[in-house]
Amino acid sequence: MKPGTRLKSAVCDTEVMVIRAGEGTIECGGHPMSEDKQDAGTPAEAHAGGTLIGKRYVDDAHSFELLCVKPGKGSLSVDGVALSTKDAKPLPASD
Amino acid sequence: MAKVMEGVRILEVAQFTFVPAAGAVLADWGADVIKIEHPVRGDTQRGFLNMGGVQLDPQRHTLFEHPNRGKRSVGVDFTKPEGQELLHELAKHCDVFLTNYLPQLRQKYRFDVEHIRAANPNIIYARGSAWGEKGPERENGGFDGTAFWSRSGIADCMSPPELDGPISQGIQAFGDSIGGMFIAGGISAALYHRERTGEAKVLDVSLLSTATWAAGANMAQALETGVITRNSMPKSGSGSRNPFMGNFRTSDGRFINLCIVSPTGLIEDTFNHIGRPDAAADPRFKDVLSLIENTQAASEILVEAFAAKPFAYWREHLRTMRGQWAPILNLIELSEEEQVAANDHIIEVEAADGSDRPLRLSRSPVEWDLEPITTTRSPQANEHTEIVLMEMGMEWDRIEQLKAAGAIA
Repeated sequence: MKPGTRLKSAVCDTEVMVIRAGEGTIECGGHPMSEDKQDAGTPAEAHAGGTLIGKRYVDDAHSFELLCVKPGKGSLSVDGVALSTKDAKPLPASD
Repeated sequence: MAKVMEGVRILEVAQFTFVPAAGAVLADWGADVIKIEHPVRGDTQRGFLNMGGVQLDPQRHTLFEHPNRGKRSVGVDFTKPEGQELLHELAKHCDVFLTNYLPQLRQKYRFDVEHIRAANPNIIYARGSAWGEKGPERENGGFDGTAFWSRSGIADCMSPPELDGPISQGIQAFGDSIGGMFIAGGISAALYHRERTGEAKVLDVSLLSTATWAAGANMAQALETGVITRNSMPKSGSGSRNPFMGNFRTSDGRFINLCIVSPTGLIEDTFNHIGRPDAAADPRFKDVLSLIENTQAASEILVEAFAAKPFAYWREHLRTMRGQWAPILNLIELSEEEQVAANDHIIEVEAADGSDRPLRLSRSPVEWDLEPITTTRSPQANEHTEIVLMEMGMEWDRIEQLKAAGAIA
């Protein structure tokens, strides 16, 4: 998968930009994502946590990184294994 | 709506509120604002856990949203040489470089005026600081709590002498938000100047200069007369020589403010509205000079009258009064006012938490052609790095190289 490629979910509104991709199938809502919009119904129950706009999603080995450019109801996985968000780690501050 | 800054690109290397707020105003006006953040930590503003006694939700971070709406975030580590080169490349595509980093850091990380101008001689260079770009304290940092509020004389003016100490700023990023608009005004003039003459300017606004301007009427009077005007202790009744100046407590403990600075022709109307036509006929109050001579007596009449009826009564009843008055409201009450809605003061942006509850923000103060400002949510840290670099025409191989060097993430 070429970096910069945009993938669409087959089961919700989610769209991602591929930042890094290793070997495996990128899925949303439990269904493979593709460059063309497919319709495979609704997200599988185990993959229905939703995606958040602007977040980066990575696997544990960090061989995949996806940037969510459009949010939806499905959640992201690779070969069935859920991805997690890569969050900013700001310095703690308080007034 | 009118996007008067459409086509203008701003490169913002700034944290907290003061200077980012300038970027937010320009984004409200349609500029493309590219906010540079640390690729892992982001703007330190994102790390505020508590503000004004409230714990903040990192996904609905209002203190970040206010000064960063409408921007894109590119994560660059400019402590690395490759990150510095990337900043210079980005500067080539921008009209304005906007920063609040201290002079010694701008030198160390090579994004001071000469470095950015070497990349783009036509770029406007806008700086925000605490104390000013000149003088012995130019390398010292500060926040609005220190520079705008405390040292500036403002805390002293705001605090009645009877109190145990000075009152604090009370509103988060108050001086920052005012000063950000000043920077945006300066940048607008610099863009006009460059358009007219071809010359790109360097401009500075400090939190202290923001304060000395905001306090300018009192400053001029103090320097002329030697007397500094300060707040008096809050009370119901006039605290000045003019009885129609002051706050008056209603029967339910709220307050109505009268600010009838020039009472000529308004004395009878004012007394009639507070239900005291007898006072309107009293020779002690027959004209402004007699009113001022008898201010204590007039103030007592007003105090008694306002205390007899509730706040809601006065708000309705004073609508026809010709003299200047206002209810003392809080921010939430204000947001519900018809007048505020009619003038589009509150704008909505989608929140990044995936909910359908928008964040409601104050719009920036200028409205164009009577049309509401529309903008978008603030970016996630590092959200647009690859997108902006590809827009600039960068190949993915180079993006990978920058990642490998740790300049971006």
